[in-house]
Amino acid sequence: MNGRQRLLAFLRGEPVDSLPLMPITMMFAADHAGVKYGEYATDYRALVAGQIALADAYDVDYVSCISDPAREAADCGARVAMFDDQPPAIVETDALLADKARLASLEPPDPHTGRRMADRVRAAALFRQQVGDRKLIEGWIEGPCAEAADLRGINTLMLDFFDDPDFVHQLFEFTLQLGMRFARAQVEAGADLVGVGDAAASLVGPEFYQQFVWPYERRLVQALHDMGALVRLHICGNTGAILGGMGQLGCDIVDLDFMVSLADARRVMGPQQVLLGNIDPVRVLRGGTPESIRAAIAQCHRDAGPRYIVGAGCEVPRATAPANLRALTEYARATAP
Amino acid sequence: MPDLHELGEAIKRGDRDTAAALTKAAIETKIPAQEILDAMVGAMDIVGQRFQKNEIFVPEMLIAARAMKEAMGLLEPILVEAGITPVAKAVIGTVEGDLHDIGKNLVAMMWKGANFDVIDLGTNVSPQKFVDAVRTNNAQLVGLSALLTTTMPAIKKTVDAIKGAGLDVTKIVIGGAPVTQEYANEVGADGYAPDAASAVDVARSLL
Repeated sequence: MNGRQRLLAFLRGEPVDSLPLMPITMMFAADHAGVKYGEYATDYRALVAGQIALADAYDVDYVSCISDPAREAADCGARVAMFDDQPPAIVETDALLADKARLASLEPPDPHTGRRMADRVRAAALFRQQVGDRKLIEGWIEGPCAEAADLRGINTLMLDFFDDPDFVHQLFEFTLQLGMRFARAQVEAGADLVGVGDAAASLVGPEFYQQFVWPYERRLVQALHDMGALVRLHICGNTGAILGGMGQLGCDIVDLDFMVSLADARRVMGPQQVLLGNIDPVRVLRGGTPESIRAAIAQCHRDAGPRYIVGAGCEVPRATAPANLRALTEYARATAP
Repeated sequence: MPDLHELGEAIKRGDRDTAAALTKAAIETKIPAQEILDAMVGAMDIVGQRFQKNEIFVPEMLIAARAMKEAMGLLEPILVEAGITPVAKAVIGTVEGDLHDIGKNLVAMMWKGANFDVIDLGTNVSPQKFVDAVRTNNAQLVGLSALLTTTMPAIKKTVDAIKGAGLDVTKIVIGGAPVTQEYANEVGADGYAPDAASAVDVARSLL
């Protein structure tokens, strides 16, 4: 089986030859390809070349458009700091929606004509040309909560939950529409699966998650499925308190960061939910040895059971030893679900 | 007689109007400033403990800190009059190249809530700026935060710069998603805090 066949069969619940392998690689992929991260995040050709080289070298089952959380916000007009060799970052002190009133006149940008969003759509199209049916192609969008934080400022959004719940709903409605448009463009360009990064959701407790975040994530997941895409949810951070809701979104894959117990997630989400993760990227993957990594991943597999995809809790850190990442590949390829 | 227990409760639930009103009333009825302060600090300690136990989350912590700030703004002149000084002077910021500040902000709020005088240098702070701020303010404590593995090396540069400037008595606490105790040991930091509430405990243990 090639990577795409393996993942598609696995997600359909059909037999596969080995565990699927989907580590998130961004800076590691850029370094592997010998390009500065600033170029990787702003030139789709560099990103596509880096992802394909990485996926081929480590037998990773997919390639991804993921690069940084600032694409949608940048095209909306937010101030984004660009760096030579690290990810673009939103300048929170100058947030686009520091003044809430601006939301009323804000239009979701066209993903085909915007600068940074269009670059990602082109990446999805180029992936389709270059990897064909060998690897699964992943598009990427910010989730409703994360994008709201990007536009409003994460510190301010956290207070808005108390101070102005109506505004939060209006903002999440905007970010939902923005995410759906961006996802549709990537799916039409060639993405099989859409990754939804909703990191800010890990900062809220179960009550706010259910009240504010879950309804928009749920609508997003439904919309992505209606587009014919598979859905992967990636919420960085400790999501232990919101696992129940995450498991009811209907996502094809739920990522878990390292601080979450996979055994708890399995218990809460039931036997069928595909879980991905979740070794500690820094302590275990970068700081460990191939032996300790294999042991840690085997434990993740035991905790998660057969509906499990090999990966780290979050991005493979820059400067991870190649042998350490290869340990993930070796475990995945040598192991049946 | 204003109820200091109620003041603490108002801070814990983030009710800044009530917290301010009760603080004002406590000052007007001449309750000793130290008692008012203790009620506030005690409330924020409980907020931190609840956060550590996942009983409350970032929004709840932020509104509690906001209520504390409001109340503290009223109390500060009285503390000065009474000769009650902050526990320590602390300088905090995200290291050079890092713009992600919510973790740093939470630590700053918790330190303020523990009655530290916090000088917040903001984000993307150069090692030299940290050195200058420590020296100018005679700070006993420095907090360095990095969210990205790519900006972690700037922690080491900043620690080196502070120690290299002969400011060895200043205790340095580091934190951020990729940061570990091992890394803190490696770069010569005095403490590592895995979250904002522990940052208070770590700081208190170092001072």
